[in-house]
Amino acid sequence: MTPEETLLLEQVTSAHRERSVDGQVKSHPAWHDLDRAGRLEAFEETLKLRKLEAALDERGLSTTVKALLARLERA
Amino acid sequence: MQRELDTLTAMVAGDAEAFGLWVAGVESSVRQSLRPFAALVDTEAVLQEAFLRVWQVVPRFTHDGQKNALLRFTVTCARNLAVSELRRAAPSSEELEVLEQRLSLESHFAPVTPDPFLREAIAECRRKLPKQPGLALEQRLTSNGVDDDSVLAARVSMSLNTFLQNFTRARRFLAECLKKAGVDLERELAP
Repeated sequence: MTPEETLLLEQVTSAHRERSVDGQVKSHPAWHDLDRAGRLEAFEETLKLRKLEAALDERGLSTTVKALLARLERA
Repeated sequence: MQRELDTLTAMVAGDAEAFGLWVAGVESSVRQSLRPFAALVDTEAVLQEAFLRVWQVVPRFTHDGQKNALLRFTVTCARNLAVSELRRAAPSSEELEVLEQRLSLESHFAPVTPDPFLREAIAECRRKLPKQPGLALEQRLTSNGVDDDSVLAARVSMSLNTFLQNFTRARRFLAECLKKAGVDLERELAP
């Protein structure tokens, strides 16, 4: 993986996702710039990262769960 | 089973905290159920959308009396969303065939319970992180997925690229540190 691809991968591992005008969760722009191998690697790294995040949180919540709860608060 | 029913009752009553704790237990299983789609759709976006929809429809959800009913429903919902998303990308017939084969192989999903040893090992490794990677990781953890990486980078006076490079270093450092502590994350994530 090139340094540029690694930067894309790191962005994709974030739980941050924008919403479309109709309120749907949008895919990350960087995800579209990754090739097949990069997307698969991003998936596996995200899986591990969420496990780490949950383990580091007092209540066991990953950033995905926190992003969801933040959405509900704002809704 | 009773715990699952209690959680469901709390969620129907609008208890977001109960919803969050339930998602924490099943997130990994639902995410892994999307592995066959990993090269075809952004599974993080699909996963979040699926959970938000489950939250919306949970007052009308009917438990089938079998274990992990809501988890199984969420997996179905997530996969249906992934298929809808995939249709927009006009996949090849070969891609669809491979996908169908993989989906038929993976059907068992169960909640994951936290491992106290893993928690302590990860916390110990985090304490050993060098300063800059530690800052990048902290930003991601405390932003709750609300802010884009460019916002997080600005908060710690880094360019986006430097922030992402530091995040890569943090991720690799943690993986290496855990390996030395005898923690195999791949095995921990195995269904």
